[in-house]
Amino acid sequence: MIIFGYLAAGAIALALILLSKSHRAMNAFCILHTLAFLAIGLYALFTTAVPAFEAGSKYFYVDHLSIYEVLIAALLFFLASVYANGYVESLMQAQELHRNNLKIFYMVFSLLLTTATLAFFSDNLALFWIFAELTTVFSAALVAILSAKENIDAAIKYIFIASGAMLFSFIGLIFLYTLSGEVLGSGTLNWTVLVENAALLSPKMLTASFVFLFIGFAAKSGIFPFHTWLPDAHSKAPSAVSAILSGVLLNIGMYGILRMYAVIRQTQAEDMASQFLMGFGLLTVAVAVLNMLLQKNLKMLIAFSSVEHMGILLIGIGVGTPFALFWTLFYVLAHSLTKASLFFSAGILHRQYESNLIQDIRDVFSLQPIAGWGFVIGSFAIIGMPPFPIFSAKLFILLEAFGFSKPLVFAVLLLLVIASAAFARFLIEAFTRSSKEAGPEGLETPLTPYVVRRGMKFPILSIIFMILALGVFFPESLENLLNEIVQELGYL
Amino acid sequence: MISSFLADPAFLEDMVRILFVFVLITAAFILSTRNIASLLTVYAVQSLLLVLIASSLYFIEGNRTLLAIAALTLVSKVLLIPIFINLIGEKIKISRDLKFNYLEPTASLLVSMGLILLAYVFLSGFFNEFILGKLFFIGAVIGLSLTLMGMLVIFSRRKVITKVIGYLTMENGVLLFGIFVADLPFIIEILIVIDLMILVLLITILAIGLDSTSEEYYQRLQTLKIWSGGED
Repeated sequence: MIIFGYLAAGAIALALILLSKSHRAMNAFCILHTLAFLAIGLYALFTTAVPAFEAGSKYFYVDHLSIYEVLIAALLFFLASVYANGYVESLMQAQELHRNNLKIFYMVFSLLLTTATLAFFSDNLALFWIFAELTTVFSAALVAILSAKENIDAAIKYIFIASGAMLFSFIGLIFLYTLSGEVLGSGTLNWTVLVENAALLSPKMLTASFVFLFIGFAAKSGIFPFHTWLPDAHSKAPSAVSAILSGVLLNIGMYGILRMYAVIRQTQAEDMASQFLMGFGLLTVAVAVLNMLLQKNLKMLIAFSSVEHMGILLIGIGVGTPFALFWTLFYVLAHSLTKASLFFSAGILHRQYESNLIQDIRDVFSLQPIAGWGFVIGSFAIIGMPPFPIFSAKLFILLEAFGFSKPLVFAVLLLLVIASAAFARFLIEAFTRSSKEAGPEGLETPLTPYVVRRGMKFPILSIIFMILALGVFFPESLENLLNEIVQELGYL
Repeated sequence: MISSFLADPAFLEDMVRILFVFVLITAAFILSTRNIASLLTVYAVQSLLLVLIASSLYFIEGNRTLLAIAALTLVSKVLLIPIFINLIGEKIKISRDLKFNYLEPTASLLVSMGLILLAYVFLSGFFNEFILGKLFFIGAVIGLSLTLMGMLVIFSRRKVITKVIGYLTMENGVLLFGIFVADLPFIIEILIVIDLMILVLLITILAIGLDSTSEEYYQRLQTLKIWSGGED
């Protein structure tokens, strides 16, 4: 029933956007679409029996983890579509987005939400693979919608790296199918069956299929060495889309890795898989942080910070204890929200200065107080300062990792200091510059403030409110939900 | 006459082995050919070889899914996709992809030989746990090699259209791997082909814009009437 609800809501929203004539109508239907998805998710969480199979078949499966991911996705899409109302209008005014592409933008945006939702609910891993592929294609279309050459370049690079790597994942799936066929009589790609019978599967073959699957999912999440597309795509995309790319699309790959890890951790290959994930996690954090340190482009800085956080999530999954998993799941929510607020603020700053470069930013607080403070607070939150939620998530993941390897934790801590320094350096250099002081070329002419349009401030303010609240209180319902997930994945 | 050949598994297995060699030849061609039209023809031939392999396997094994896969591959990859890319290629007037990144054709052929050996060594390390015939093992090796060679094409060629053919080659490799190792449900094969078509459609449309400024790009799309979705 839930899947049908999602499909119906998605189809109706798509049809309404197709039929609507004005930007306002398209945006309104898009917002309604996200609200409907949020509502169905909450309904599923509170009133239906979960976990359960959907639609009388074994293709879709609703459990707490999938609902959690879908709720995060729907929330971010909601905020992004509210933001898009004013933002897209500005893009059209600046002639960066052609009016004829407007409808395509909203239709693909809505399709992206529907396919991402279906990916999270797929029990059959091949189905998950296909929906994940479709999210790559649709999100690449959103990156390219501005049809500037650099956007098209970024989108093409994104598709080739992510989809090419996903083909290796498919080889992993074929391995897994054959492997399960040898043990269970008939092959299966259903996660529920695999996780139940994981102990029977040959650890060696399972490792091989895990490595292949990892290649594709890692590319989708921007894990080193497959991260190279991410900074380009995330920084060139319109900011409303960047928030979705970092906050939702990266989670899809992580979700795949988490599901596979839940299978492999029941076998003797667990140690190997753990070390594998933690190794790649550490490398990813290191590469991202070194790219952040002298970064001159605001959106590139945020994009590389996404790479860094995916690395930490990978370490969190690799630690593999119930406690670490609990905080890794919380981290996903905290990161998605915080990252979205940074991209939303960066979007306003980009409208103001028509550039993302550090040297073009000046008079931030007098020109764009909301975006400026939003970015400052978001930076504090993203580097993991208390009282923001990323602080506690990072703290507990690293404490748990301490039991595995002390050098790993020290290395990560050192890298996190560098990441903080990167944000601090950027903020100090860009946000303290004033046009009243004489620069090397004498006085600069003061800029006229960009009038922030309708809907663009609300997402930033509401996210700051949410992350502050999440950092200070830990709602009991969220705690219960995360505990359910830990249990359902077989950790307890 | 023909039916007696089709009923002889030994003959069919030999046929499949010969077809494997042909598949590798097409992959080598894709790595080195500069002319886009011939690249497309080679890709269509490669897909046709997969159709023949899947049909031969059907006669050996009698699994109906293989026949369905053969039919689907024939329609989508031998006919639709090459015709579509050819159409786009003509419209954007790219007929040759002359430049190579990192690797010249000779070097990439040497690298791909290495990749085939690598695929063999890697898979023989794992396949002793599977109870599969020799033919199936070779099929898996060729499939994996084809995927890796397709990846090499994406890396070493400049033009997006050529890269698309590299991606399609990778996908053919996965298909080859799949038909030998596992009998996946047919619905999944259909979904993969749909995914492939959307992807090819999007990339080729984007490729039109790459060599022009955004204003020109928009005008080109307008005149080609591929990307029209506006109300005015």
